[in-house]
This record gives sequence, C-alpha cells and structure tokens, in this order.
Amino acid sequence: MAYSDKVIDHYNNPRNVGSMDKASSDVGTGLVGAPECGDVMKLQIKVNPETNVIEDAKFKTFGCGSAIASSSLATEWVKGKTIDEALSIKNTEIVKELALPPVKIHCSVLAEDAIRAAIGDWKKKQEATRPAEMQIQ
Amino acid sequence: MANADSKSSLIVPGEATERCWSCGTMRAQHFCNSCGKVQPAAPVDYFMFFGFPRKLDLDTAVLEKEFYALSRRLHPDVFAQAESVERAWSLEQSSMLNDAYRTLKDPIKRTEYLLRLEGVELEEQSKQATEKARATGELKKQVVPPDLLEEVFELNMHLEELRGQKELGEDDPALLEEIGKAKLSLEEKFDALFNELKAEWKKWDAAVDSGTEEQLAQIRDQMLDVLNRRNYIRNLVRDVNEALE
Repeated sequence: MAYSDKVIDHYNNPRNVGSMDKASSDVGTGLVGAPECGDVMKLQIKVNPETNVIEDAKFKTFGCGSAIASSSLATEWVKGKTIDEALSIKNTEIVKELALPPVKIHCSVLAEDAIRAAIGDWKKKQEATRPAEMQIQ
Repeated sequence: MANADSKSSLIVPGEATERCWSCGTMRAQHFCNSCGKVQPAAPVDYFMFFGFPRKLDLDTAVLEKEFYALSRRLHPDVFAQAESVERAWSLEQSSMLNDAYRTLKDPIKRTEYLLRLEGVELEEQSKQATEKARATGELKKQVVPPDLLEEVFELNMHLEELRGQKELGEDDPALLEEIGKAKLSLEEKFDALFNELKAEWKKWDAAVDSGTEEQLAQIRDQMLDVLNRRNYIRNLVRDVNEALE
C-alpha cells in the first residue's frame, strides 16, 4: 500500500524527535503501545506552569511509517497550544491530515492516546507538587 | 431439489437445510444419518462442525482422530462417481474440515477464533476506549501494562543502537549482552503468558457450563489482554532476532 506524501514527508523528516527529562516537574511523558502491531510511542510535552501552554514537544516512535508520521504531526500540533486545546485534538483529524487508510487508523488512535497520556502525566505532577494551590482553585 | 443435477446448484452456506436433500429425513452434520448421503456444509462454526461445545481446553488427540475419520469419508475421491452436487458438497465439506482443523488445532488460533465468534474485535475495542477517554476526560487504560511498555521502549532503543553500530561495522559486546538478556527475559514472559492463557481456558470452560454473562465477559477480556501482551512480545522477539542476524 502506498503512503500519502504527507506521511512520507513526516517519515523522512520527522519533526521534534528526541526526549526531555521525564523527572522534570514541567515535563509530561506519555508512553503508549499498540498491541495490534507492536508499535510503541513516547510523546513528551514541556508545559509553562503559568500559562498552561505547551512550549515544547518531543517524540520517539518505534513502528511503521504511519505511526511515526502520526506522532510527528501530534508534536507539531500540540506545540503552542494550551493543555485544554491539546486535549481536543482527535485522531480523526490526524487521519484526515495524513490521509491514512483504514488499516492505519490505529496509528492515529495511538497518537491521540499519547497526547492524553503525556498531559495526564503532567497533570499528576502538578497535583503532587502543588497540592495547596489546587485546593485554592 | 429440482435443480440438483444442474452445475449451477453449488450450495452456498445458508442454503443448507435441516433435512437430507436426498431422503428428506433429519440429517446429521456431514452425512445423512438415514441414507448416508453427503450433505451440503451447514453454516456452523468450527466447534459445531466437529460437534464440540464452544470450549477451549480441547483434547487435540480427539480432534485429530475426528479429523482423520472425516477426511477419509469426505474425500472428493470417494465421490468420483457420485452426482455432481455431491462431488461439490464433499469438496466444500472437505475444505471446511481442513479450515476447522487447522484453526482448532493451534491453541492461539483457537482462542482468537473463539473470541471473534464471541464478537470481540480488538481494534474496535481500542478505538472505543479512546473515544470513552475523550468523552470522560479520564485516562485510557493501556492494554499493554506500563512496565512492559518501558521494557519494550528500552529494548527498541538498544536495537536501534545496535543497527547503527552494525552499519558502521562496530561491535559492542556489552550492548549485545544487554540485548541478549532482554531477549531471554521476553521469552520467559512469552512462555508464562501461554500458561496464563491456559488457566483462562479452564475458567472459560467452567463458565460456559455454569457461569453468568458477566463472568464470561470478564474471562473474554482477560484472554484478549493475554493475547495482546503475547503478540506484543512475539513481535519484539522477532525484531531482536532480525537485529542480531
């Protein structure tokens, strides 16, 4: 099956590959896997605690071209967005942007899961480090 | 059967009847109990094809015996002189017999087949779980447990390193040892998962006889979970072997 030009572009020139310090309090890490194909995807976000804006995002994916492209695109999309805006990203938008065929939809699902997992991890850290402020809210 | 002699009367699943096409008495699965004529393949699942209950802890010796006995009786050569519909049905039954045998003989295929029969669709489930997470704002429970994911990720990092070194013609014994150890650990997990699956079979079989719908559903989920983890590890071991070649 042929990959779309956008998938090939992300595959050949993946954006934001790398990693951040997962112990850092302003970094959220999402590690997710697709049992159907054995893919594993790690997506990390760096969030400004004052504005809740995602200032940086990195990923590392082991998997097929569609999984790499989906996560690469996900990092591009979350950057500059607030946590809430990033949570509204849907896998169907990734499918549309990358023109993924039905058999590769699970790759986009995985990318959405990774965003949610990273944000979830970040939120958990915030609650753990600033319990007093949470209560004030 | 008005058109029994015409070549176009190949039986499609669903067309099979409860009665023998030849003598009209109630028929058995493969041959008529009364007149012994071969019957069109009934639209049944592979368990029913052999007359087994939908259970998983299957005695493969019994399966094999049934398979060989039916193979001999259904073999198209036996019907060389028979009517054309009978030849077609024996062929159809033989082919279903082979599919059913191959599926039920293999413990993993058998489990996957049963789950499909029970309406468990892996991909669908994953998508539904994501949609639920989106709607409720709760974190989706990952099918693969976090520590296994960590291990998979780490190992993939090592494998990438190994491939890079290979391209440069370098050799790092420490890295190879690391990967070898990881592979061993995965293979142990792989074997352990099969035992876990067999334990679920026993639970399933007991629940088929006297369990509730909830219990059955719970066991189905558990079996799916075990198979998922097992597939994950199988793919990873395959990648390791490829990288080590």
